[in-house]
Amino acid sequence: MKRQLYVLITLLMAASMILTACATAPTVAPATSAPATAAPTTAAPATAAPAAAATATAAPTVAPTPTVVPTVMSGGEGCASNAPKITWFVGLGGGTDPAVIPQEKAWVDKYNKSQTYACLILQVVHNPESYDALRAMIAAGDPPDIVGPVGKLGRENFRGGWADITPLAAANSFSLAGYDPALLNFLKDNGIQIGLPFALFPGVIFYNKALFDEAKLPYPPHKIGDLYQGKPWTWDALTELAKKLTVDKNGNDATMAAFDNKNITQFGMWMGFTGGRRMTAPYGGAVPYVGTDYTTAVIPQQWKDEWTWYYNGIWAKDAFMPNNDYASSAAFGSGNPFSSGNTAMTWTLTWYTCCFDMAKINWDMAVVPPVNGTLTAGIDGDTFSIPAGSKNQTLAFKVMKDMVMDADLGPIYGGIPGNTALRQAFFDGMKAKSGSNTVDWNVALAMLPYPDIPHHEAWMPNMSKSESAIDAFYNKMSTTSGLDLNAEFGKLQDALTALYKAAPSQ
Amino acid sequence: MIKVNRASVQGSSGKTGSQTNRLTRRQSIWGLVFLSPWLIGFFAFQLLPILATIFLSFTNYNGNVTFKLGNFKFVGFANYARITTDPNVLQALGVTLKFAAISVPLGLVVPLLFALLVNSKHLIGRNLFRTLYYLPSVLPVVAATMIFNGVLNAQSGWINQLLALIHIPGPRWFSDPNWAVPALNLIALWGVGNAMIILLAGLQNVPTEILEAATIDGASGVQRFWYITIPLISPVIFYNLTLGVINGFQYFIPAMLIGGINGNPQGATLTYNLQFYREAFVFSEMGYASVMALILFVITMICTTVMFTWGQRRVYYAGGER
Repeated sequence: MKRQLYVLITLLMAASMILTACATAPTVAPATSAPATAAPTTAAPATAAPAAAATATAAPTVAPTPTVVPTVMSGGEGCASNAPKITWFVGLGGGTDPAVIPQEKAWVDKYNKSQTYACLILQVVHNPESYDALRAMIAAGDPPDIVGPVGKLGRENFRGGWADITPLAAANSFSLAGYDPALLNFLKDNGIQIGLPFALFPGVIFYNKALFDEAKLPYPPHKIGDLYQGKPWTWDALTELAKKLTVDKNGNDATMAAFDNKNITQFGMWMGFTGGRRMTAPYGGAVPYVGTDYTTAVIPQQWKDEWTWYYNGIWAKDAFMPNNDYASSAAFGSGNPFSSGNTAMTWTLTWYTCCFDMAKINWDMAVVPPVNGTLTAGIDGDTFSIPAGSKNQTLAFKVMKDMVMDADLGPIYGGIPGNTALRQAFFDGMKAKSGSNTVDWNVALAMLPYPDIPHHEAWMPNMSKSESAIDAFYNKMSTTSGLDLNAEFGKLQDALTALYKAAPSQ
Repeated sequence: MIKVNRASVQGSSGKTGSQTNRLTRRQSIWGLVFLSPWLIGFFAFQLLPILATIFLSFTNYNGNVTFKLGNFKFVGFANYARITTDPNVLQALGVTLKFAAISVPLGLVVPLLFALLVNSKHLIGRNLFRTLYYLPSVLPVVAATMIFNGVLNAQSGWINQLLALIHIPGPRWFSDPNWAVPALNLIALWGVGNAMIILLAGLQNVPTEILEAATIDGASGVQRFWYITIPLISPVIFYNLTLGVINGFQYFIPAMLIGGINGNPQGATLTYNLQFYREAFVFSEMGYASVMALILFVITMICTTVMFTWGQRRVYYAGGER
């Protein structure tokens, strides 16, 4: 009787834990101000920044917060018996689109069958919840071993939490000398090498050839220095061109006096999936402080110039870019105007190939025009990083190296491979996705040497709050006409300064 | 718990005191066994997090690092002092109160009107209408919000297009800070089906003989509704009111989906819970966020207590039970 009772108690306890766990399933948190599509985030040279705050390490006590549990998409099928488990966390950058996940899973399964020294476990968390999930894993002392693809912003949100791969490469007898030092430098955060060059996404001008043909306008230049209609290809030239391609419901374009900016049916330009900082990249990289004074915000002049250009472009009588109301409307792709086929050009980074029908839209790429004689295309670059709290860093590096060097993994994310030997295969893959379009990928290659330095996701004091303040400012510009921009710049600068001063540690 | 009269047990069965004690102990053990699922769940997933929240509220713990001694400092009541001067919290409280001030009355009146409608014996196809009005509340809130994001779009939303047909310029629902909260209230109306069903059940429990007697005494329809129906369904109204206030303070998902983490436009959709989410999961300030969670608990508790105090005097419970 006693024994039966104990058995029953044990069974009830087990059942209760299972039932309670099921009943407290986490709520899926909604989207952030980031683009609806899971665009990769970035890498690029950071500016000199203060020392890292804290490093994630060691054993757990109490996991403090409710969180989203990472979904194990591949449990290690095909692993060699006794192979140590290496967890790969996807979510901070690209790689969480429903179409991409099966490809990642297939790659993991293939990889696990191809070697015997590691058993790779894939975990995927939808981008908006991924920060929360990773924080909880770190807080519980059980971080993943590899995180990525991840860009600058994702890494900076866990500043100080990444392992330096230089000693890990040495431990694996892997030489970094084969990489372009500039690309390696891209992947240094605060002086620490946190990854290997993997996927690069330079900024370009995507354009809709059909809309140019309809307007009987020549396509924009594909080579740096080429003229457009006999004039230098500058942002002013692009602006004039965009106005000609912006049309109201009566067929008037934005250069005409009768143009009705309340009833626009086609836009000439869109700053694709940008926030307050990313959109400034073509005007030259900058950070909102001077030198090492991390207590006083200074809005860079190029930011002011670009924001003014943008603001006039969406609200002026001859508007040629969509404001928030237009951009979020169904006629303009519900937040993705170029994909609607009703927008002629967009400046964005080449990860944007994820987000429109490359076979359906008749499209190509043009070079980014210079600003005041200086060309800055902007660039994003994703990599894989190893959390400092990973308990198996040497093996994690070995697996990470395999991932970066593999010819099949890179194309899943649409980035130009950091490894030049893999690039032709990448272009062939993109050609296959582009239907009858013949896309000039040489444009993207030509833009690679023109990154925005400092990068548009570079560190700044009180990073997440400052980023949030700048994005709130961007939203205000996009939704409110009649602003006194200079006054707004001043308000933002004051707000950032307050945030810098309130930063917990520098 | 049911009390056992030992004397009667002994007397009826003839068992000794020690046998009775064993029986009582065994019954207690079995009682605890059957309670254990709830007890374990309560301790692990309710009490422990509550205690952790109180503990964290006195620390400066940052969610980016492992939760262990050395990774946080005790800051006393600094987090509590900070909340009183945080402009974002004050703004978020304002937005939440503004939302609740509209949503609570609407959440009482609209479902009551629907319930009266679908309870009317003059309505043809009552069951069909009951189903139709209830159906939206079955939809996941995320899906409903995304649908309304399109419906209320300033350029292409059909509400503004309908208004344009009669030459009324539609509001810029999600771009104009003045219209963002009313737009969220419109979305909230989408899910009144639950409250309608509860009110419908209440209406159907109103004794017809009382209404008939009032009719014979010459009471008009309005008088019958106001002096008989409303008092008799007041417990149901009170229940909906209580839930409405609590839900108003906890409003989060639609605001997050529409306005993002910044509560766009210009903080107009930054509800208290959204600000709490930002502090905890975007800015990783777990200590400060814990204070926000506790303050929300206190506010909700005060509101509920005030309502129950008021309800004891104003709500009619048949049989005198309160």
